[in-house]
Amino acid sequence: MKHAETETRLSGQSPPEPPRVDITLNVNGTSYSLRVDARVTLLDALRDHLGLTGAKKGCDQGACGACTVMVDGKRVVSCLGLAAQYQGREITTIEGLSADGELHPMQAAFAKHDAFQCGYCTPGQIMSAVCLIKERRAETDEDIREFMSGNICRCGAYPNIRAAIREVAGEG
Amino acid sequence: MTTLETGRTVGAGIDRVDAPLKVTGAAHYPNDFSIPGMAHAALVGSTVAAGRIRGFDLSQAQAAPGVLTVITHLTAPQLERGPMTLLGGSPPAPLQDDRILHYGQHIAVVVAESAEQARHAARLVRVEYETEKAVLGIDDPRAQIVENPWGLDTDRGDIDAGFGQADVIVEDTYTTPDNTNNPLGLMATLAAWHGDALTVHDSTQWPHNVRTSLAAIFKVPESGVRVLAPFVGGGFGAGLRVWSHVILTVLAARQVKRPVKLVLTRPEMFTSVGHRPNSVQQIKIGATRAGDLVAIEHHGISSVAMEDDDYEPVSFGSAVAYACPNVLTRDRQARLNIPCPGSMRAPAEGQGNFALECAIDDVAHAVGMDPLEFRLRNYAEEHPLSGLPWSSKALRECYTEGAERFGWSRRNPEPGSMRDGRLLIGYGLAGVSYPFYQVPCQARASVRRDGSAHVRSAATDIGTGTYTVMTQLAAELLGLDVSQVRFDLGDSDMPYSPQAGGSGLTGALGNAVHTACRRLVQEFLDVVAGDAGSPLRGCLLDDVTVGDGRIHRVDDPAQGESYADILARHGLEELSADGRSTPPRSEDLGMAPAGAFGAKFVEVRIDPELGLLRVARVVSAIDGGRILNEKTAASQIIGGTVGGISQAMFEETATDAGTGRIANATFGDYLMPVNADVPDMEVLFLGGPDRATAVGTKGVGEIGLVGMAAAIGNAVFHATGRRIRSLPFTIDQLML
Repeated sequence: MKHAETETRLSGQSPPEPPRVDITLNVNGTSYSLRVDARVTLLDALRDHLGLTGAKKGCDQGACGACTVMVDGKRVVSCLGLAAQYQGREITTIEGLSADGELHPMQAAFAKHDAFQCGYCTPGQIMSAVCLIKERRAETDEDIREFMSGNICRCGAYPNIRAAIREVAGEG
Repeated sequence: MTTLETGRTVGAGIDRVDAPLKVTGAAHYPNDFSIPGMAHAALVGSTVAAGRIRGFDLSQAQAAPGVLTVITHLTAPQLERGPMTLLGGSPPAPLQDDRILHYGQHIAVVVAESAEQARHAARLVRVEYETEKAVLGIDDPRAQIVENPWGLDTDRGDIDAGFGQADVIVEDTYTTPDNTNNPLGLMATLAAWHGDALTVHDSTQWPHNVRTSLAAIFKVPESGVRVLAPFVGGGFGAGLRVWSHVILTVLAARQVKRPVKLVLTRPEMFTSVGHRPNSVQQIKIGATRAGDLVAIEHHGISSVAMEDDDYEPVSFGSAVAYACPNVLTRDRQARLNIPCPGSMRAPAEGQGNFALECAIDDVAHAVGMDPLEFRLRNYAEEHPLSGLPWSSKALRECYTEGAERFGWSRRNPEPGSMRDGRLLIGYGLAGVSYPFYQVPCQARASVRRDGSAHVRSAATDIGTGTYTVMTQLAAELLGLDVSQVRFDLGDSDMPYSPQAGGSGLTGALGNAVHTACRRLVQEFLDVVAGDAGSPLRGCLLDDVTVGDGRIHRVDDPAQGESYADILARHGLEELSADGRSTPPRSEDLGMAPAGAFGAKFVEVRIDPELGLLRVARVVSAIDGGRILNEKTAASQIIGGTVGGISQAMFEETATDAGTGRIANATFGDYLMPVNADVPDMEVLFLGGPDRATAVGTKGVGEIGLVGMAAAIGNAVFHATGRRIRSLPFTIDQLML
């Protein structure tokens, strides 16, 4: 039955042009007005429309964490939401984490502890780690391990990621 | 012939030189690039595993908004198959006929104005198939069997006579599943034609191979093809070949006369860029009651695609691991309707070592000997096939010092005897002899008027630390501070580099950089050879050394001058020199060039009621030759170890036996370790510079993975008395 419905739909007219929407996104303290295909995700809006390619696409299904950004101070996987849903929210990406060329302490700790290899998951790991400390979930090793488990590192830098987070949490 | 002196710069665990880019999101990976006016492509994959395409209905897709073209085998031009490479033949050219050889085979490419439009239209392509029954199992009698695919089968001594001398014989079958590389970076290609010239951003581990292959496939001059990959989001072997999607992106760009970008989806990453093929291995080992190995027989069979090749000699490692007089190894492949397998971190070794090192433990247990003592007793002092001394081998130190650090002596040999509350504790170890691999490589080094150096080669840094260690090495060889050296890579216009793979790049590239830097110093000496104002006048290369940005006499450091002064006085902006390396040969050395060696020590904890297995501790003791950067090298071992934990306990690409569909082709379904699954771990580097090359490194990118499956399996046996011979170790196998 489901199959037949699909066939019926496909044999009809061409699908209509998807709606385009006018949206305003506040990213890293700047307001951007965009007209985008309504299907554009927050991640694709950042990467393809605003040129902020720091957030990465690793699965496009919310399972790897490479696209993690901060929205109103909380970590969000930006591939799982449409850009249009994020109007009026304060979005921070890895590009907005540090100011004036100074590394954020978490960025510096990742460099020091070699908490990455290929670097592809790194922006997401760092955004997640910064939020982790805000969430007060970086106070024990058990918590760090558990609450950083939404960010996959296929290169296997997990022990060094924990070392970096421990150092920053200890300083805080 | 090690000629690199122990230095101030080489070896130090400095931060990665590309760390500032990577932690700020400023490192640009292939799918981060855009070109104005570019279109976007999406693939259509076959939903059956074998048969023919009867026809397409493209009307919906072609009429969808934004669609520029839909290319199928009916409209694609004839494309040559790519050339033979160092790693074997190229994958088959896509869209050349109506045959379906595997699920997910690319059968159409849709090009549209936006990525969303292309993806949507790709779903509107209707395909009618004539389906055949796919050949999907290694044991399917219809599968064509390839015997001795690489000519690496070995036979020494008299295997039957060897077993005749054995007091104890262990014989078992081991199986390993398909694993999928899954680098986190979705592989992407962005292609732009300018007449017959072509620029490609690609997630490759080998830019020169992409250049050569695309030039051949599209029949354009190689000199006009430029391939860029300054950063790659991992590879683990998936980026070693010029896969179908790369060719289709380039084809699409040619057809729509615009730049075209294609980013594989995660499900497509399971069917488009290779995977570690499954294996079935029979291993039989005989030993005397005293603990001497007398016979090893190892047969392996792996799956391979219908019309493609893959290098997986899973049994070969058993021929070179131990001193044993009678050894026979045999490898075969079964051709199946599966996506093309390809190298995945530690190809063949990752599978074969699992069988060998579990079986060795079983033999040790059978003769009542400690597994560490058994391995030391059967230690291969010489290369077992050639009888030559190794160019370096500190595996004995890896065993003994690793055991000391781990606390192996606390191990009660009785299985099931160690507990922590209700948890069973198991200690396990495995030994690893990783094969030597090196191929020719080139590099170019320059020093400029400001005293800075620029060194480059068309290599890639897939996370291994190539940027950093080559910067350190060049700084050492030119006597400069690391901050004065820039090392560039990832551009096929640079001097030829082989692939980042086979644990061979650091050796190949390091020795090319070594030659280039030495020649560059010679260039400076040539400039001042007749310079009455130079304290270096008339010096030979052996008369001088470098340091603090200057060349000076060995016998009188005060007699020297800076690169900058020489260039300024002679009105030169810069001097450059090329270097190349060729692999060392055992016939020249009188030694067997050695790869890395290692010993892995693992503690597991098992909840016997729930079947939960956790790795609690790992000590990796590694002989990696000269270590260029102790921090990045340790990261390679840690990362490899995580890959090994993953192979042992998590990964299994599940193919539906009826349809050939990959049933778990998402990150939600395909299990890989997350942060909570991985313990802190220790890495020890032992041994010293290898004698086979000037720089003396041995690659460490893969050895960290090897041995983990066996060490964990041996620890599980120690904890439970249960031997599991099928990867991954899942709860159902562990419930007691």
